[in-house]
Amino acid sequence: MTITQLPSTHEGERSPFPTGDLCRPSGFGPDIDVSGLVDTAHGLVDRSVFTDRRLYAQEQARVFATSWLFLGHVEQLQKAGDFFTTYMGEDPIIVTKDKSGRIRAFLNSCRHRGARVLRADYGTARAFTCTYHGWSYDLEGALISVPNEDGYRAETWDRADWGLLEVAQLDTVLGLIFATWSPSAPPLLDQLGDMKWYMEAFLDRDSEGTTIVGGITKWVLKGNWKLAAEQFGTDWYHVNMSHASALMVLSPTGKGPKSDIVNTPGRQYSDDRGNGTGFPTHPKSRFDAQPVHEYYDYAALRGRLGSARVEGPLTTGHATVFPNFSYLPVNGSVRVWHPKGPDEMEVWAWTVLDKSMPEEVRTAQRLYNLRTFGPSGIFEQDDGENWSEIQAISHGWRTNTVPLNYQMGLGSEREDGVHPGSTSELYSDAAGRRFYARWAELMNTPAWHEQLEEKT
Amino acid sequence: MAEGVLVGRIDDIPEGEAIKVDAAVAGTIDDIAVFNDDGEFFALDDTCSHEKASLSEGWIDNGVIECPLHAGKFCLRDGTVQSMPATEDVACHRIVVDGADLRLIPNPDRLAP
Repeated sequence: MTITQLPSTHEGERSPFPTGDLCRPSGFGPDIDVSGLVDTAHGLVDRSVFTDRRLYAQEQARVFATSWLFLGHVEQLQKAGDFFTTYMGEDPIIVTKDKSGRIRAFLNSCRHRGARVLRADYGTARAFTCTYHGWSYDLEGALISVPNEDGYRAETWDRADWGLLEVAQLDTVLGLIFATWSPSAPPLLDQLGDMKWYMEAFLDRDSEGTTIVGGITKWVLKGNWKLAAEQFGTDWYHVNMSHASALMVLSPTGKGPKSDIVNTPGRQYSDDRGNGTGFPTHPKSRFDAQPVHEYYDYAALRGRLGSARVEGPLTTGHATVFPNFSYLPVNGSVRVWHPKGPDEMEVWAWTVLDKSMPEEVRTAQRLYNLRTFGPSGIFEQDDGENWSEIQAISHGWRTNTVPLNYQMGLGSEREDGVHPGSTSELYSDAAGRRFYARWAELMNTPAWHEQLEEKT
Repeated sequence: MAEGVLVGRIDDIPEGEAIKVDAAVAGTIDDIAVFNDDGEFFALDDTCSHEKASLSEGWIDNGVIECPLHAGKFCLRDGTVQSMPATEDVACHRIVVDGADLRLIPNPDRLAP
């Protein structure tokens, strides 16, 4: 699978928009020292990271404004003018294919009075016209039409200054589109590092690549976005307890509870960029949906991906690419946790599967994903209930001031000689500790745009 | 000799689509948009009467062309304005289907001087 590096638009080297005499006062943005809120040495996290609105604002400016964020799948855009809308943090985004076939991502906010230019989830357009006053932008983001343009004084008006704001970098990897506002963010592949090896076990099974089926399912949950992102990065631990009833339902009739499910060996990968993934390991790892299991040639997959991946991250497991992109290889569920204030998130979920899969296998995987991890899926319901329950009580004074425990497997990370990078046991909080370590690192580092503000 | 300017053949324009004929070819003041609405062919001045936009890139729906930029609407038969924010009609021209050929008979009021 090749990576397409698209040229940066050089945002950040200079202010990309006229500012006139506007200048935010110093100290306007939050700058809270979070080093006392995350203690990875002792495996402790202060509960305010899930509830505090000032931290939330700082998170938007320093975590979401600097990180590579997931936008969607390349198959969502087929031809010039195809578009879909999504979010980067709380920022609304248009993703489109321009006339030359390049994928572009723009802030979905009109430069005039700030309304969303596009309100549809997806579609095809020849231009993007704001419905408020009618400013129109072409597929390259340039402002092309302004009703009553004569009303602007020619000496002070330059249409070229008022195009849609574009992301600083956009890249694709394994069929997934990512972008960042940061002109100085290291390349996407550097952010992934060894994580890409694990992602390939899901997204590079087929030489034809992957596609999406069934559209994007979206739902709203009470709960801070980090509760979900962290769990998908680090938490196999909850499976046997939270999902006990679902596991019983899925257990082949008459076989009942099985100790080798509960006591499965496995590994959990984590890195200092905040990524994490965990998976049971078994020589006969298999896909849960029977038609999917029967479709795959496991020997061929061993040839393509190697035995370590087929016996591990190929099937059952969990993963988060920092900060808010997660996936489950066994059912093809891909999701992004959009932050909506400290207390709420929007879950956007795709079913991603191999392009070569015949229709009946695609259907089987899509239905299996919906049954387990759709908005009413028997596993998803368990997870959402946990996160909402945690959030519901977390503003209480006593509740909020008692640290949370991330101590499992403390110090157990090592190179195991089989799986790239640093791994621990399957049941471990290692990736959670590194998720919050990365979060704290970004929270305590003035972001590229803050440095820009100082320069000007 | 058949009357009008040859602007294309009927299968050059799929249903629901349009082409733009350059003013120099048509001998007119403005470019001309030629539309195929459900198998029937129509021609109007290409430039929207509201702001600068090409009606040939608009959306055809049941006898009406909607401007791609601000959604002003015009009757394909006579160019009369059907919806704000546009308030002025656009000029209308005749299309003659001659076998498989499409021939444009420009509106005499819109001929280039």
